Amino acid sequence: MTLLEFASGPGLQWALWIFVFGITWRVVGAVFLLSRKDISKPRHTNTISAGLGAVWSRSSPARAFEKKIRFQHVTGYAWHFALFISVLFFAPHILFFESVLGFSWPHLPNTIILITAIVATAVLIALLIRRATHPVQRFISNADDYISIFVVLVPLVTGILAFTHFGARYETLLAVHLLSVEVMLIWFPFGKLMHMIMTIPARFQAGTAFGRRGVKA
Amino acid sequence: MRKDQNLGEYLRMQGVSRRGFLKFCSATASLMALPPSAVSQVAEALATARRPSVIWMSFQECTGCTESLTRSHAPTLESLIFDAISLDYHHTLQAAAGHGAEAAREAAMEENKGEYILVVDGSIPNGNNGYSTIAGISNHDMLIEAAENCFAIVAVGTCAAFGGLPNADPNPTGAVSVSEIIKDKPIINVSGCPPIPVVITGVLAHFLTFGTIPELDALGRPVAFFGQNIHDRCYRRPFYERGQFAETFDDEGARKGWCLYKLGCKGPTTYNACATLKWNQGTSFPIQSGHGCIGCSEPRFWDKGGFYDPISAGQWGSRDALLGAAAAGAALGVGSALAARARKKKAQAAEEI
Amino acid sequence: MSSLDTIPVCTEVATGNVEPLLHEIRHALKRLAEGKEGTVIDLKRLPLAPGEEERIAATLGTGEVRAEIDALGPTLIQETSYPGVWLITHKNADDVVVARFVEVTYIPELLRSQQADIDAGINRLENELKN
Ligand code: SF4
Ligand code: SF4
Repeated sequence: MTLLEFASGPGLQWALWIFVFGITWRVVGAVFLLSRKDISKPRHTNTISAGLGAVWSRSSPARAFEKKIRFQHVTGYAWHFALFISVLFFAPHILFFESVLGFSWPHLPNTIILITAIVATAVLIALLIRRATHPVQRFISNADDYISIFVVLVPLVTGILAFTHFGARYETLLAVHLLSVEVMLIWFPFGKLMHMIMTIPARFQAGTAFGRRGVKA
Repeated sequence: MRKDQNLGEYLRMQGVSRRGFLKFCSATASLMALPPSAVSQVAEALATARRPSVIWMSFQECTGCTESLTRSHAPTLESLIFDAISLDYHHTLQAAAGHGAEAAREAAMEENKGEYILVVDGSIPNGNNGYSTIAGISNHDMLIEAAENCFAIVAVGTCAAFGGLPNADPNPTGAVSVSEIIKDKPIINVSGCPPIPVVITGVLAHFLTFGTIPELDALGRPVAFFGQNIHDRCYRRPFYERGQFAETFDDEGARKGWCLYKLGCKGPTTYNACATLKWNQGTSFPIQSGHGCIGCSEPRFWDKGGFYDPISAGQWGSRDALLGAAAAGAALGVGSALAARARKKKAQAAEEI
Repeated sequence: MSSLDTIPVCTEVATGNVEPLLHEIRHALKRLAEGKEGTVIDLKRLPLAPGEEERIAATLGTGEVRAEIDALGPTLIQETSYPGVWLITHKNADDVVVARFVEVTYIPELLRSQQADIDAGINRLENELKN
């Protein structure tokens, strides 16, 4: 079995199993923790709009902090947007998703993907450097942050190398790229990458809880 | 051609002029993927070249490789290469048969000890040797005997080079490649199912010209022909870059000649010379005819997923296994939530006391 | 008419290799004009789309000299419309193209009479005169 065969066969299967297992574990666990009854009298009953409001309001910085966190804000959005495009709209990726999900969607030309991938990589590296050097950020970062960044950074770099056939043969680079994605999938449920699934529901949940109590947030 | 003659003398005797010889040399240099500037070097080497003795053995094979080769056997140029080597034994092409043929083989091996080139096509059953025999001798034993005193081995075709079709899962005959059995001789793998005919002649021409082993890649293939993958030399590459793909074999994209990646083209992971040398006297090659590369010059290409599955598709296993993982995760999730709640209740109860 | 003829086949595919090749020829021609060495380009070594080899030949056009050599099959030597740029097509006895070169030179080597052939010719002539 070649490296590529392992990476696109058993390696991928195991990674997916662990990924699915871990995510359901965490999501189901979190949902079950919610089911505690609130017996206080609600101040507001339209909690859904409060929840949606919180999802929206937390997507942009509070006025008071706007200047201070502009860098994070802009780079944060740039990073997520560039990553999103590179992962979801590259033709070979879509074929990969199709082989797993059974359906597909339109793709973008390779040159655009190459640009977004390079932007994503550059922004992520900038953010990583900032995290490691900025005193406050450094203080609030733990191993989880660094591991999570690392397991996302490696697939990006190996993906660009595979795309440009740089450094080694294509099949080797492709295998390494797949393996790095598998490492990311395995880490995903157990670290901060879970924010991809948890962020919006968590904001919504906090919003409804606050709304019920009449807290403006 | 007499054995003690060199090629230059032989050609002159055949009435080939110096001009004809130079033409032969430039075609040969082109064949060997040498730059045109190497022609004079080739001419010099060829003029004094001695004809190498070649013993060709066919084991567990379909004769497709020999068929391919005889297609390149057009009169004059390429046939000169064949005249120039001394093909002392070839099961399929020779007139002799039976014990006479085997005797000829043994005589040739004896006469050219340490100097002959052994060409092998077909894989070798390595388990029950009775699966393939010639004149009562198993392929395995015959290979070992013939390899002992050869100068080098050319494994022609994916079967001889990597095991090929006989080696494909479940490999009922225990078929293996030449390199699995012979470890102490230089082996040149000319893979392909079949190999491009001019690549076979190109490798023989290299022996003829330089008398040495050409530069080989990690899989033992001559870099001159297998140094680049199909994708890097494919004329459909601009469509790949632009993201223009044929989705089916008869859609608009297919008609416009767009990239065949989505239809399972293995060009990006396949190393061969199809995109430049092409097939049938340079007429076309599979991708040009509208079908993706199936990766026939790579080890185990039969077993690397479907010919029509895109390279980037993964084997993700069964839906059931994924559902199982999800169920296990859910159970653990419920369990840990319940446990957390129980712990909390206990703590609260303890507080109340 | 068979149904095959009704399938439209598109041949207007471009590898992007034609332009660079023409530039390479231009550079080679300049080098030649400066008194430096000539250049030979092997057309069979370039990845070309169907129709591109013809496009190259068409762009180069046909010039004043056209010669055919009969040695081990026909060889066509055509000066292109750009003096100094020659298109050389080697065929075997079956009329199948075995190699194709663009040669940038004053006169292709193959057109010159070769020393070995001249020597052989002298011999033959002398033999002829003896009888
Ligand atoms: S047809 Fe195949 S080899 Fe050609 S560009 Fe597309 S994927 Fe690459
Ligand atoms: S294009 Fe690919 S499958 Fe076809 S002959 Fe060449 S290497 Fe083999």
